[in-house]
Amino acid sequence: MSLKYESQLREPLVDGNKDYHQITEDIIRPIEVKPGRLWYIGFFISVALLLFGVYSVYREVTYGIGQWNLHKTVGWGWDITNFVWWVGIGHAGTLISAILLLFRQGWRTGVNRAAEAMTIFAVMCAGQFPIFHMGRVWLAFFIMPYPNTRGPVWVNFSSPLLWDVFAISTYFTVSLLFWYSGLLPDLASVRDRAKTKLRKLLYGVASFGWTGSTKHWQRHESLSLVLAGLATPLVLSVHTIVSFDFATSVIPGWHTTIFPPYFVAGAIFSGFAMVQSLLIVVRRVLNLQEYITVGHIEAMNKVIVLTGSIVGIAYLTELFIAWYSINQYEQYAFFYSRANLFSPYGWAYYGMMFCNVVSPQLFWSRKLRRNITFTFFMSVIVNIGMWFERFVIIVTSISRDYLPSSWSYYYSPSIWEIGFYMGTFGLFFTCFFLFSKYFPVIAVAEIKYVLKTSGENYKAKMDTVENQKVEEFAHDHAH
Amino acid sequence: MEHKKYWQSFGELNQSAAYEASSNDEFQEELPFEADDKGLFDAKTPRRDFLKYMGFSTAAAALAASCEVPVKKAIPFANKPEEIIPGVANYYATTYVQDGDAISIVAKVRDGRPIKIEGNELSPLTQGGTSARVQASVLDLYDTARLRFPMADGKEVSTFEAFDKMIGSAMSTLGSAPVVLLTSSVTSVTGKQVIDQFLQTHPGSRHVTYDAVSYSGMLLANEACYGQRAIPSYNFADAKVIVSLGADFLGTWLNPVEFAKHYSIGRKINEKKLAMNRHIQFESMMSMTGANADYRYQHRPSETAAVVLALYAALGGAVSAPSLDEKLKKAVAETAKQLNASKGAALVVCGSNDPNVQIVVNAINESIGATGTTINWGSTYNLRQGVDADMAKLVDDMNAGSVGALIINGANPAYDFFDSGRFADGLKKVKVAVSFNTKMDETTQLCKYVIPDHHFLESWGDAEIKTGHVSLLQPTIYPLFKTRQWQDSLLKWSGATGDYLSMVKQYWMGKLGSESNWDKALQDGVITPASDSGASGAGFNSGSVAAAAGALSAVKPGTQTELVIYQKVSLGEGQQANNPWLQEMPDPITKATWDNYVMISPAMAKSIYNIDITTNKDADAYEVHPEKPAMKVTVNGKSIELPVLIVPGTQPNTIAIAVGYGRSERLGKVAAGAGKNAYPLVAFTGGNRQYAISNVSVEKSSADFIVAQNQTHQTHEGRTDVVLETTLATLKSSPEMFSEKREEKVEEYAKYTRDYAKEATLYPHFPRPGIKWGMSIDLNSCTGCGACVVACNAENNVAVVGKQEVARAHDMHWMRIDRYFSGDLENPNVIFQPMLCQHCDNAPCENVCPVSATNHSSEGMNQMIYNRCIGTRYCANNCPFKVRRFNWSDYMSADSFPDNQVGIISDASMQMNDELTRMVLNPDVTVRSRGVMEKCSLCAQRLQDGKLKAKKASRPLLSGENGEWDVKVACQQACPSDAIVFGNANEKESDVSKHRVENNGRIFYALEMLHVLPNVNYLAKVRNTDEVIHVEKMGEKHASEKVS
Repeated sequence: MSLKYESQLREPLVDGNKDYHQITEDIIRPIEVKPGRLWYIGFFISVALLLFGVYSVYREVTYGIGQWNLHKTVGWGWDITNFVWWVGIGHAGTLISAILLLFRQGWRTGVNRAAEAMTIFAVMCAGQFPIFHMGRVWLAFFIMPYPNTRGPVWVNFSSPLLWDVFAISTYFTVSLLFWYSGLLPDLASVRDRAKTKLRKLLYGVASFGWTGSTKHWQRHESLSLVLAGLATPLVLSVHTIVSFDFATSVIPGWHTTIFPPYFVAGAIFSGFAMVQSLLIVVRRVLNLQEYITVGHIEAMNKVIVLTGSIVGIAYLTELFIAWYSINQYEQYAFFYSRANLFSPYGWAYYGMMFCNVVSPQLFWSRKLRRNITFTFFMSVIVNIGMWFERFVIIVTSISRDYLPSSWSYYYSPSIWEIGFYMGTFGLFFTCFFLFSKYFPVIAVAEIKYVLKTSGENYKAKMDTVENQKVEEFAHDHAH
Repeated sequence: MEHKKYWQSFGELNQSAAYEASSNDEFQEELPFEADDKGLFDAKTPRRDFLKYMGFSTAAAALAASCEVPVKKAIPFANKPEEIIPGVANYYATTYVQDGDAISIVAKVRDGRPIKIEGNELSPLTQGGTSARVQASVLDLYDTARLRFPMADGKEVSTFEAFDKMIGSAMSTLGSAPVVLLTSSVTSVTGKQVIDQFLQTHPGSRHVTYDAVSYSGMLLANEACYGQRAIPSYNFADAKVIVSLGADFLGTWLNPVEFAKHYSIGRKINEKKLAMNRHIQFESMMSMTGANADYRYQHRPSETAAVVLALYAALGGAVSAPSLDEKLKKAVAETAKQLNASKGAALVVCGSNDPNVQIVVNAINESIGATGTTINWGSTYNLRQGVDADMAKLVDDMNAGSVGALIINGANPAYDFFDSGRFADGLKKVKVAVSFNTKMDETTQLCKYVIPDHHFLESWGDAEIKTGHVSLLQPTIYPLFKTRQWQDSLLKWSGATGDYLSMVKQYWMGKLGSESNWDKALQDGVITPASDSGASGAGFNSGSVAAAAGALSAVKPGTQTELVIYQKVSLGEGQQANNPWLQEMPDPITKATWDNYVMISPAMAKSIYNIDITTNKDADAYEVHPEKPAMKVTVNGKSIELPVLIVPGTQPNTIAIAVGYGRSERLGKVAAGAGKNAYPLVAFTGGNRQYAISNVSVEKSSADFIVAQNQTHQTHEGRTDVVLETTLATLKSSPEMFSEKREEKVEEYAKYTRDYAKEATLYPHFPRPGIKWGMSIDLNSCTGCGACVVACNAENNVAVVGKQEVARAHDMHWMRIDRYFSGDLENPNVIFQPMLCQHCDNAPCENVCPVSATNHSSEGMNQMIYNRCIGTRYCANNCPFKVRRFNWSDYMSADSFPDNQVGIISDASMQMNDELTRMVLNPDVTVRSRGVMEKCSLCAQRLQDGKLKAKKASRPLLSGENGEWDVKVACQQACPSDAIVFGNANEKESDVSKHRVENNGRIFYALEMLHVLPNVNYLAKVRNTDEVIHVEKMGEKHASEKVS
């Protein structure tokens, strides 16, 4: 009889001979020391990008959307492309935290904290676009349904843009709560280790007086489950609703019933790719290779190859349906504007096909799945591909819709459109750098939880136990 | 009695010292700064009082600054003029006069300012029709570049008296040197009298008429054939067959508004009357008129003579037919057959300025019985009277130094004469040069004395458009600047005592018999012949024909590239070049704005630029970028570099360049930046200016040009849901072919109610009683002229954005005219489709707006609430017609961030936002600010006005019932060919309802399959050809077109 069960398929989730204290040391230590040079360089580049973005938005708000190169035919371009892209990226976090929690996927603990943080920052970035794409952003509050003195005038509940407002703000709220409630025990750890008064005060306030009592743990667990339950449908709904912006319209290339599942798959696809990009850097910079293992990376690569293939099937289905519909507008949108290398935006379609469908197939190879450099490279490719996908959907469709008379000039972004996008990168990475400096990037409490079943330390102990005689074991465990 | 003493305190009662002190010092607390006798500004501020002091001064400064708000005065009338009610428009009949052009109009005057021009429906010539130039002319009144005072040597002359004195003394030094009055064609009867009177006071003087674009060849030909140096009336309405040999009679030739009106009468068809005129066009470039033709044939410009001769020969003329290629030979034979078949109801017009060609054309018209039927010599046009030889002689005289004084009105030869350099040199030798022009045009710049003329909206006068048809002018506004009407100046200088107004009045009272008749005529704006005496011919002297034919047969067709110089429908000869509305109006054919360019054929594009627009790759690359290839065109050593536009339908060896562009900076900022001057390329042969030039050398140029077009794609990709056309023969053989297809769909989706709004939908249907606005646009009548576009701009305060912004596809037009080519690439069919908000009952824009800024009225109107709009642009994206326009920048200076648009918006927009120019704005229409979506409102302000009118009269609104109208929308009113019908579609007797019922066979809704339920319908275009297109075959044809 063996007391220890070690899976032949699953690798240990935490490498190295860790004990509880060591974990706390490894993860919380970076918060307590000065960050390294790389951190500073990265942080300042991010802030510089952010400032450029702020200036770009200032130009746009002060002088008008005319600062961008959108025009009468292409009314949405980089703005909404970036919005959908960032929202998509914001999907992995909640998927990892919520759905994988419900499915009891232990490996999520290594990556969930960072992924959730990424979600929140990505949604923050995403939110900038629908706000600042408005011609009169100072009246943005009009989209909030609240009793007012203007009639009252209500919002239009049949507009998908309004659904977006609700979907994204709900998603953001739930994700934030989820992330923060998970942080509480860890913040308390930081507080307990704090050596300065200020640190003690700030982390004390932030940890809401967590003491680690059983009652606290019990409530914490329940809350996590409740929030996971709430967040799970949101993972599916947010991008579904974002896809409604297009699916409910009348424009060929937008008016597509396949969009909701296709968008969700694409979102998870790009979200995981972004998690990969970030964590591969973070584990290296913060020396967390033992917590974010190759096993984690491989698991996420599997998700990428799955969702990438779903997306690929969706692309082919679109083409098939366009052909099958005998609808000349659909056919023009799909076969002329998109799947045609010589059409004005054909390069974007083929870029998308290559990045999203062809290249992830390489992950069928276990060797490549476990190759960190290759994974990093692929994760960037996938995110470029997913950006192309949104660009293709938005711009190729409206650039040539029903009336050929309204087909207009080629749309390429102005410096301020690019600047706005760069600015959201700045925002994202600034937030992420601050997060990695002031918060535990790995869920300390949760990783300790899986350590019992998966840590080297535990295995070693089990080995001893196994070799022990029954009496010795009884002696050791006698109280 | 002792006075009681009242006291407030014991201190006061006792008169204590402390009380005394305090009552003397009302503010007991110390001031925040040391007050000494140095005064406030020199007071020292102790360190401890610094904050107090700063707070006080900040508060004081803030208070002072915020108190200083600009004072806007709105002063009510002390004595209200009888006819002015604030907020209610007055309409005055007057006349659009622009050099040789004269159109009867009605000016809408709001609170003393003319803001809109409509056609005068009482004029039998134009019958309420207008052109883009007429519509835009109200903006010229408020042109910031107008001359504001008389000048001598560039300096202001304080009074007219002083100016008159200067002229008097200058004239007295001339001695025997003659005075020459150089004008563009004068249509004014009394104006001619004024000129005569002036010439009499200066013996030896003469009057030279010079038109920017010459009709001299025609005048001379008519003189040779009919003994009259005049142009007869043409009656396009009665012509069954119209053959135009390069005459753009719908766009720019002679009197296009009249011609378009009459032409469209002959092209109206409905189910009861399946007949229309047949229009055959021979031309070298793709003109708007050619685009409307039923049959269009191309030839080299130098082949005009051969075509005319061949046609004359084919009609039995005693000339030998020259050799032509097979295609043309067949075309000529076919045309002759058509003309012969409709003798007495046929008309041939020709745009050539070669007298020999025109003589043969006259002979052709004689042989087909046009003279006396469709050509009326009983009434001749006064619109173009200039003979080139006179001008040539004047320039010679000027250079010889034998002209003492040159007084110029209207004419601008320093710009538009083919040899403007020589004219300018000559002008230097003229002792006294006076200009009456309203703007600092190229000629006025060279004149020592400038006494600016009134704008026609400020003038009195008359214009005899053609014999018997007089249109009167009356001022609609007090002159804005220190200007004087040229007639008044000439009267003064000829020593007359009375002013011009009394002269006009005297003259017409004499003619009309009484003052009340004069009042009536002034009110109507037109004086028309008492009875329509019918067309009369004139004695034809056939003697000149043989000589002319001989000369023509000697003309050898060119072998190299040839050039046609043409006028654009928007700018014409170029007098209104500083008009932003016209500059931004897209050309009917090329859809280009703000520029002239070289039009070349697809074949030439392939041979010179290696652009093959038959391939999608090249076509896309060419169309999606505003950067266009450039060409250097050299004619007789003069060269010009311009961008190139590939225009299907251009003869392969021909290029075409428009005049009117490339203006001087001083004419105005709007005009200055646009295009290049093509007038110097005009040839002068045989004593006449020629606009067709052979032996032109063209080469690829490396210059960078952008051309701003508002439509870039050429074809409709076989999309028959968008636009429908057929031939008359097809329609006759199967009149139900379109309606049957619609019927099938109705059977399928709305079997029970025959109403898509009730069936074929998941949503409940709500009845909409009362008014339901509807519009019907007859594609068969639309000539593509763009009058509606400019009318819409004027009525609805639509922004002008400038060339750069149009090139970024930021144009703001609510109404556009889509132009599609189809068929043969070298000689395509053209179809025009006015496109505006379709006011869908099931509008895709409405349900996507998150804030309900666009929604539906109970009258079927899709309306925009500007102050609710937050500018997400979702509505525009979801509009299948792409008619919504977004305010990308603060084009109208109406923003919450004021005055930050310098360097952002164009000079043109800046000019439109000038205090003076803004007087043209329609006060009934909101000026839209940055970040707001806008689109056609169906002239909501007019509809409200019309409803009020009906309400006041206690009757239902009338929209064409028995020809009575309470309301017309701006595009409908402007249209010279009555292509747009608008009204209450719920009323069976309204024009729009009848229009729909009577044309059930041709009615279609654009993109009807989307179930957006538009309230605008179209009627299919019908070409009067004998080709029968089978319905099944049509499907195939479209299927094959779809691929390309």
